[in-house]
Amino acid sequence: MSAVGVAEAAQAVVADEPVAEAARRRRRARRAARRRHGRRQAHRRARQPSAGSAGWTEAHVRRLFWRAGFGATPVEARRWAKRGKTATLDFVVNGPPGGAQLRGLEPRVDGRTLDPLNEWGDNVLWWLDRMVRTTYPLQEKMTLFWHDHFATSDQDTPMMLAQNRMLRRRALGSFRDLLGDVTRDPAMQLFLSLAGSTKDAPNENFARELMELFTLGTGYSERDVREAARALTGFIADWHDNGTVTIQYEADEHDDGVKTLLGRRGPFGVDDVLDLVVAHPKHAPFLVEKLWSFFVATPPSRETVRALVATYRANDLRIKPLVRAILEHPQLYRKLDAPDLVKCPVVYVAGALRTTGSHIVQGYPTWLLETMGQYPFYPPSVAGWDWGPAWMSSNSMRQRFTLGNYVVNYGRPRVRRGSAPATLTAQEAYELAWRAVAEPQVSPATRAALVHLAAHFFDDLDPDWRDKADWRGEALQATLRHLLLVCPDSQLH
Amino acid sequence: MPRSVHKGCDDFRQTSAATRDRWLSSGLTRRQALMGALGGGLTIWANQAMPFGRIFEAAQASAAEAPGARVLLSVFLPGGCDLLDTLPPIGAYGQYADLRGGMELQAPPALGTTGLGIHPSLAEGLNGGVKGLFEAGKIGFMPGIDYANPDLSHFHSRHFWETGLVTERAAPGWLGRWLDHHGSRDNPLQGLSLSSTLSPVLATASAPVAALESPNDVGLDIWGIGGQQERQMRAAWARMSDARVHGDGPEAVHTAARLAKSVGDRLAPYAEHDDVDPLAPPVAYPEDDDLGRRLSRVAALVAQPLGVRLASVDANGEFDTHDNQPTELADSLRSVSQSLAAFQADLEARGVADRVLTLVWSEFGRRPEGNESSGTDHGAGGIAWVQGTHAASGILTEYPSLTALDRDDNLKVTVDFRKVYASLIEGWLGTDANEVIPNANAYGRLALTR
Repeated sequence: MSAVGVAEAAQAVVADEPVAEAARRRRRARRAARRRHGRRQAHRRARQPSAGSAGWTEAHVRRLFWRAGFGATPVEARRWAKRGKTATLDFVVNGPPGGAQLRGLEPRVDGRTLDPLNEWGDNVLWWLDRMVRTTYPLQEKMTLFWHDHFATSDQDTPMMLAQNRMLRRRALGSFRDLLGDVTRDPAMQLFLSLAGSTKDAPNENFARELMELFTLGTGYSERDVREAARALTGFIADWHDNGTVTIQYEADEHDDGVKTLLGRRGPFGVDDVLDLVVAHPKHAPFLVEKLWSFFVATPPSRETVRALVATYRANDLRIKPLVRAILEHPQLYRKLDAPDLVKCPVVYVAGALRTTGSHIVQGYPTWLLETMGQYPFYPPSVAGWDWGPAWMSSNSMRQRFTLGNYVVNYGRPRVRRGSAPATLTAQEAYELAWRAVAEPQVSPATRAALVHLAAHFFDDLDPDWRDKADWRGEALQATLRHLLLVCPDSQLH
Repeated sequence: MPRSVHKGCDDFRQTSAATRDRWLSSGLTRRQALMGALGGGLTIWANQAMPFGRIFEAAQASAAEAPGARVLLSVFLPGGCDLLDTLPPIGAYGQYADLRGGMELQAPPALGTTGLGIHPSLAEGLNGGVKGLFEAGKIGFMPGIDYANPDLSHFHSRHFWETGLVTERAAPGWLGRWLDHHGSRDNPLQGLSLSSTLSPVLATASAPVAALESPNDVGLDIWGIGGQQERQMRAAWARMSDARVHGDGPEAVHTAARLAKSVGDRLAPYAEHDDVDPLAPPVAYPEDDDLGRRLSRVAALVAQPLGVRLASVDANGEFDTHDNQPTELADSLRSVSQSLAAFQADLEARGVADRVLTLVWSEFGRRPEGNESSGTDHGAGGIAWVQGTHAASGILTEYPSLTALDRDDNLKVTVDFRKVYASLIEGWLGTDANEVIPNANAYGRLALTR
């Protein structure tokens, strides 16, 4: 809302009230309240674009921090707007010197520490906590990208957590190295029946997804799938008593005959197949477009794809330079006042906790993510989740609405007794709530709806004792904070 | 064009829309496979001109919510359900047993005088389960259902069934398209998906639809806020949701925000209150069975004046029985039989059975010859059925031959699923099938209702 709009809304509130002694008393009380909540001017200043770097504002920082991670706190937005675009991108892409650390309170579930290997849902909380507390959010964001890209589901937790650590280690490095580790990863091997695929009974499952979903999309034939399956034979799963699995490669079980694969002939083995698919002309554009759509809502132009493909190839298929090129692309910063990319449930939940300085204190986020349609470690299929507008349904929005209860009752935005007197104006109540939930970006329409709500929240009370109804003021604060966290604007980044 | 034949794969997990979209936009064409089907390329969607983003036809909308309006329920058995074990051909038992090499059903119960048997699991449940429903004249089986030159990929074939179009094009679901033509403009409950994300058969271009797991789990609630403040809060939500926005993402968010409130408001009177469930079923459903639980909610909501017209439910079972079919299929069909039998008894007890017709389907059938892991691989010529007091009863289509297989050793298709869709649209929903199924007349009709 513009300053004019804010003033109008405030006037509308005043005009609704009876002009009488009670009103004068209320104005006096309001002035007192204003002194108590006198951060308003600071807040006004904060909304001015920073002059720290030409064309690099707090809005740019917020956009980048949301897309590359899980949102920016007001302090981060101010600090990085001053430091400028290059410094901010360096920090976001490379992380802090010395690598990622977890800052702040350790996660708890009803007072106990997490036990991700044994307690149901703790594996999800363990990862979510990393997203909330890491000093290197892009690393977690890319781990999430790879978990979707190399979707593996419904395997034993020790294997899934081991895979998760591998994806994190490889998240921004060489794609070829990542692909090699994924191919030999026990959870993936079992999920796509690569373990046990032998020369006598080659299984095409992994070979097909390797080309269709992992590296190429198109440009291969059914014959290539069959030949790749032959070349990938030889892996055998070894089950151990503790429930873990190791993968052995047994040369006896490998088909060492000549294969014709993607236009080449030879006695190809596992690494030959991986080398051939990443060298295929379709690979770079395929991965570039997939990564782009993870970060940017509108499709890239042909020139953009060409440039990004060149970057990716010039850097020997390393991910970090490609991600950086996307993160600094002007298209990512379009419509800074009207975000257009739907947050996936994981980013929505982790972002709400991280930006408000909240932590995991209950198991609640696990089942919330499940009902929102993104239960980490259980993607619905080898194709991963459906992104973008597909996250939205009447049900998923209702589940997203309930997140507010968790954050407002157990997180830092909790309303403390005596913190929200009934004498605040509607505008003041709104701004108090807005600051308490980390100054989220909201549209003028949303702000007006919330100020209107604040203006009428006491309507059923007798005017003579409205000013003393602090309990109602606190209920209003909880409601405003909740709505700010879950409103349509907060579903987008 | 070589046809993909998946053996021993898990790719029925690949049914997500993202994959389908990638496939749909990839330019891989299945047209060669389609040519020759039904002659003259009649099935090629790309030749049809049906605009999906059509302007909503408001004039027809009001009829949809009329009390007593008919309801069509889609029940999907994911994975590709085996025809031969579901309705074993006891008239040709020797051939059946030879094909299955030891994993065949032993002495399955006979299905009347049809010459067919029925899987013993389908005799379980209230009133004799699915078998009992058949004997009571409330089920019509359609063996051999599929489409010409079937695609044996789970997600391709499922996409065809969901959209009613054998095409690479992305499209709303066939039931969603019906709502776009004949549904209400403001009642999301007209298209009810019992799931946390919307079933693709109900995806629409413009008509509102709802996804929910339980009517108890739909309210927009803030802890500690009630009465007038709750009403004001929800009014603020409505104002925020109604704001005009642009772009796919923002529009999807705002639409979902409006639908969430609408669903919550409409179902508020039916939520559990003081441990009393106003929708509690009058009959016993199987315990701890997701399919039964979802069906019980469909029955309950259909019986209320909520304007439910089309509904979609997925079974939980493992029908992709590459391994250990005797056990897996028995468990899955038991759930289906117990749940559907309870559902039918529930509808009858609530006095709404005459309004509801159920279509049970799966994306394809399975190979007649068993594999080496006591399972079967993806095949053609599957099984579907209609169920209800107004369903045509008996064996409604030709049972495929066990000796005259197609060139891939699969059963020959004896009925196109679009013939069934067209027949349901005209015979049950009472509207022109050509609006929803392109060139519907090319498929002919089956008498599926009475």
